Amino acid sequence: MKLNTAFYYIREGFTNVKRNRAMTVASITSVTAALLILGLFLIIILNVDSMANQVESQLELKAFINDSYDMSKVTKVGDEIKAIDGVKSITFESKKDALNNFKKQLGDKSYLVNGLENDNPMPQSFIVKVTDANMMKQVAEEIKKIDGVTQVSYGQDVVDKLLGIIKIIRIVGLCVILILFIISVVIISNTIKLGVFARRREINIMKYIGATDWFIRWPFLVEGIVLGLVGSILAIVILGLIYGYAADLVNNKLVIFTLLPVRNVLRQTLMYFLAIGSLIGALGSGISIKRFLNV
Amino acid sequence: MIKFVGVSKKYKNEIIAVSNINFTIDNGEFVFLVGPSGAGKSTILKLLLREEIPTTGSIFVDKKDITKLKRRDVPYLRRNIGVVFQDFKLLPNKTVYENIAFALQIVEAEPKYIRRRVPMVLSLVGLSDRANSYPQQLSGGEQQRVSIARAIVNEPSILVADEPTGNLDPDTSWEIVKLLSEINKRGTTVIMSTHAKDIVDSMKKRVIALERGNIVRDEMRGAYGYEA
Repeated sequence: MKLNTAFYYIREGFTNVKRNRAMTVASITSVTAALLILGLFLIIILNVDSMANQVESQLELKAFINDSYDMSKVTKVGDEIKAIDGVKSITFESKKDALNNFKKQLGDKSYLVNGLENDNPMPQSFIVKVTDANMMKQVAEEIKKIDGVTQVSYGQDVVDKLLGIIKIIRIVGLCVILILFIISVVIISNTIKLGVFARRREINIMKYIGATDWFIRWPFLVEGIVLGLVGSILAIVILGLIYGYAADLVNNKLVIFTLLPVRNVLRQTLMYFLAIGSLIGALGSGISIKRFLNV
Repeated sequence: MIKFVGVSKKYKNEIIAVSNINFTIDNGEFVFLVGPSGAGKSTILKLLLREEIPTTGSIFVDKKDITKLKRRDVPYLRRNIGVVFQDFKLLPNKTVYENIAFALQIVEAEPKYIRRRVPMVLSLVGLSDRANSYPQQLSGGEQQRVSIARAIVNEPSILVADEPTGNLDPDTSWEIVKLLSEINKRGTTVIMSTHAKDIVDSMKKRVIALERGNIVRDEMRGAYGYEA
């Protein structure tokens, strides 16, 4: 492709974008809407994913010890745990420690548990670190068999649950995105169709003077891709602003979990957005010119 | 060279447009295609431009059977055949110069070549002073000259004119035919379909007469009809 021909395609493409203002706006809006929803699902998936990773990477499980056990009995249980294959280290968390840790987690809302010191409901436990995440289940089973251990909880439960949630979000998200994708393609293809229709004389003449199909197609592809890209850039900007605000709010006010920083999220979604935006545009225009090329 | 060998075209609605057409046109010939409306003149031109594909038979352009042409090769056939229409088919939002340059842009000619070639063609058709006018500012005859200029600007070896004088008054028609004849003298094969009896009779060129899809007459130095 010669450079001046490429310029011709781009110039003509932008002329088309300007020609049908209303449809151009409709197309861009639909792409933006589709990508915003896509972005929403992506962000949820990314965050749940990161939570699952965090939990998994801790590689620790908690063995709760019978409340009535005194220190010597507890130490014996600890020795038994240490002897299990795959256990890296253990830390004892007394009832008092547990309460203090919980207070710390609550931060400035720690007054909620004030007065519980005398009738501490928190259990005493061993925090067991495991050498390998795959050993988790096996080690947990072993610890459960020890006398005085009331319950074993480990991250895998949470991880499994999170993975289950991710799966559902993915399926629902995929369906919604697919529908929006199709709607966007149809709207863009209608927009381009108007442009093609406005230029049908020109296309007809071009065919007679020996223009190749691609020569005719390119300006409309440029138009479609421009619409798709503008739509996706708008979606990224809106998403960045809203998510940035939400992440600030959640990370400052809530303590139970944190959201991924906005920069990470945008970095991971940017390329998808631009790719999907241009794909929508290219598909939309490709569909609508096909019919007009048969002269 | 153009050669039609046993060409028939039946449209989907079972109308037989042309049946068993045979003729050869040598390089540099000037040929009139005459006959009443619906006789098959336009079909023959459409077949030549590969707008239609014959139901049976072969069409050769420069020894190549264009009925077997692949879709993507059709543009290259058309670059070798200039076309002029009855309704000019000029782009209204482009100037005369731009309309002609457009035909060169499409074949990806160098801008330098375009800048040199367009004025040359404009002067050949006698419209040098109208380069910056828009088609609707021109008379019918002038518009047809622009369309002829566009058709020959990339130097095709064949020029097809489908009733080029159909919308023009007799004097203007004559000017257009003289221009086509001038182009023909420079070596381009010209095929012109027409109803203009006077022109055909006085030009004394080859005439292929069609009636109901058949060639009824093919004469060198012919006339429009027997009754003439």
